[in-house]
Amino acid sequence: MNSPSTILYFTSSFPDHKTLYGFIEKVDPEVVKYVEVGFPSSDPRYDGPEIRETHEIAEKNFHNGHLEQYAEILGKKGVRTYLLTYYRDLARQSSDFIPHLGDSGFSGVIVPDLLVDYSSIAADVIGEIQDSIDFIPFFNPATPDGVIERISGMTESWIYYGLQPATGIHIPYDLEEVSRRILDLLPGREVNFGFGIRSMDQIGKIMDLGSKGVAIGTLLVPMVRENRLQDFVALQRQIGEVQDHVKG
Amino acid sequence: MFKYYTMMVDYMLSTQKNDLIPEKWYNVVPDLPEQLPPPLDNEKNKSSIELLNSILPREVLKQEFTFQRFLKIPDEVREIYEQTGRPTPLVRARGLEKYLDYSGKILYKYEGATITGSHKINTAVPQAIYAANEGVEKVVTETGAGQWGTATSVAASFAGIKAKVFMVRISYQQKPLRKKIMQLYGGEVSPSPSDETEFGRSMLKQNPDHPGSLGIGIGEAVEYALDHNLRYLVGSVFNSVLTHQSIIGLETEKQLEIMGTEPDVLIGCVGGGSNFGGFSFPLMKKFKDVEVIASTAAEVPKFTKGEYKYDYVDTARILPSVKMFSLGADFMPEKIYAGGLRYHGAAPSLSMLVNTGRIKTVDENQESVIDALKIFSRTQGIVAAPESGHAIATAIDYIRRHKDEKKTVVVNVSGHGLLDMSIFRDEQ
Ligand SMILES: Cc1ncc(COP(=O)(O)O)c(C=O)c1O
Repeated sequence: MNSPSTILYFTSSFPDHKTLYGFIEKVDPEVVKYVEVGFPSSDPRYDGPEIRETHEIAEKNFHNGHLEQYAEILGKKGVRTYLLTYYRDLARQSSDFIPHLGDSGFSGVIVPDLLVDYSSIAADVIGEIQDSIDFIPFFNPATPDGVIERISGMTESWIYYGLQPATGIHIPYDLEEVSRRILDLLPGREVNFGFGIRSMDQIGKIMDLGSKGVAIGTLLVPMVRENRLQDFVALQRQIGEVQDHVKG
Repeated sequence: MFKYYTMMVDYMLSTQKNDLIPEKWYNVVPDLPEQLPPPLDNEKNKSSIELLNSILPREVLKQEFTFQRFLKIPDEVREIYEQTGRPTPLVRARGLEKYLDYSGKILYKYEGATITGSHKINTAVPQAIYAANEGVEKVVTETGAGQWGTATSVAASFAGIKAKVFMVRISYQQKPLRKKIMQLYGGEVSPSPSDETEFGRSMLKQNPDHPGSLGIGIGEAVEYALDHNLRYLVGSVFNSVLTHQSIIGLETEKQLEIMGTEPDVLIGCVGGGSNFGGFSFPLMKKFKDVEVIASTAAEVPKFTKGEYKYDYVDTARILPSVKMFSLGADFMPEKIYAGGLRYHGAAPSLSMLVNTGRIKTVDENQESVIDALKIFSRTQGIVAAPESGHAIATAIDYIRRHKDEKKTVVVNVSGHGLLDMSIFRDEQ
């Protein structure tokens, strides 16, 4: 796929399984290439306040079985599903959790705290995950060049690059500079951008700069919370138009 | 001989003093061995990081999170740097070498030669300029011992704006000269806790004679900045501050090159870590194997007794938490001479490098610091700041233990101590 496309983030089982399932059913495969599903965490420390709040609610509703159901419908649409989980939570799962994710249709995992809080065991964890599914390196502007080179060298998947130190935070930055850095460090690699993306204008600009995709999370939270399905459908349409515009 | 002499003159003329002032600051973050843990919010449903957006100059916030290794120093800042006494000298400490009967070299970078007498001016200037360029009329900060408030006051005047300084009440009472200097520089000084903020008033209600603390000062300054839509200036700990302080190490690098010398050991003192990081990080980039030693106060043993963990930056818990070596935000050190070393934590990048073992640490007690200050004043003629006395004590101790190794030891002397003479009251 050469044209830029979109990645959506939802926290699993937020605000409840049924509501989120309704949203997943409406994911438009013409616009969306991947969906990230957040594994509810009691300490989603590198997320912004809005997404942190979704975790608090999701934790109460969550069941492992929900994950399989999301992956199943997305798989039928041809949209790949990834699990976003903190290592803190992953470490508490049974040893067949990752292989089972693979069997349930998940394509990979994204672990936002691994390189920050568990750097000494990161290589082993990545190796273990890759025995079953893809490990998606998660970098941001604070990731040193040496770490980016080392970790991306251990993997072949696409890269998730956060534009901000956490979701939902607006630290001023120069979009072109920040995106150019990672694209120059990893030429030829599929890099998708996320964190703090709020507007269509921003989405268009990021795609223009050569990103393969843009991840949207915080923007969806109020829609999902209030079960505004029609707004979600409209948003996807709008994003689709931006994508077509960039392609054209 | 004559030819050599003219060459030297040419060289000296072309090496104008201000050629030594670098054009770019150095940010260590992209060169760290691991990813720097980001600041975290203290409350689940509130963003204290977002708060930084309202109080820090935009450019400072940008620099705080940038991946750029080198950041251009604005021309107006470079011009002011020159006015503040930069480049500061890098001096061969021949008197001290002789005194220690040392066959290697001891060099010291002297930040006491700046107009305010310490390195603090290196970051106060850009922060005040950035704030003024945003159109604010006043910047706010807190000060404990007074060095930071002094630097902020004059930097604000240079930038054509005002400074408001919340000075820890006990220092305000005990250091009237410090207060006077700040006022002379145009600063507006209030003892903290004050009745000018809600937080201050609540502290005074608890205790009308409250001695104050740095944590309370930060709380007041941040609240005041928010209420009056002003900008808050940060004195240490933040990445951006260490980046501004890199001017120390970058100048040293050029001066070493001119001297034709390479360092074997770098030594500096650590309060929040800004003079230390600013001095050592650029040199560690250039000299990969250089030995690096951080000197702290034995009364504030953050690296030896503290824990590497997420902790509050300020006692009031207003600013986001960062991962650092810390003795806990409520840690109350006993009264020590070196007010600037009382801080409970240390900059995240420095903490990481201590945690990985790249930087070694030493705790110095007051007795050895006083001794070192005496030796330094008698051999080099400089009354160093009590904070800097820690670095000097560590250097003397290092040299005594490595006497025959002929190493080149470079010490950062972060300030002069001419306004802290009371510490010698009981000395002969
Ligand atoms: C002269 C001097 N040196 C050192 C320090 C310690 O601060 P930092 O570790 O941020 O350089 C201070 C702080 O007030 C100081 O005034």
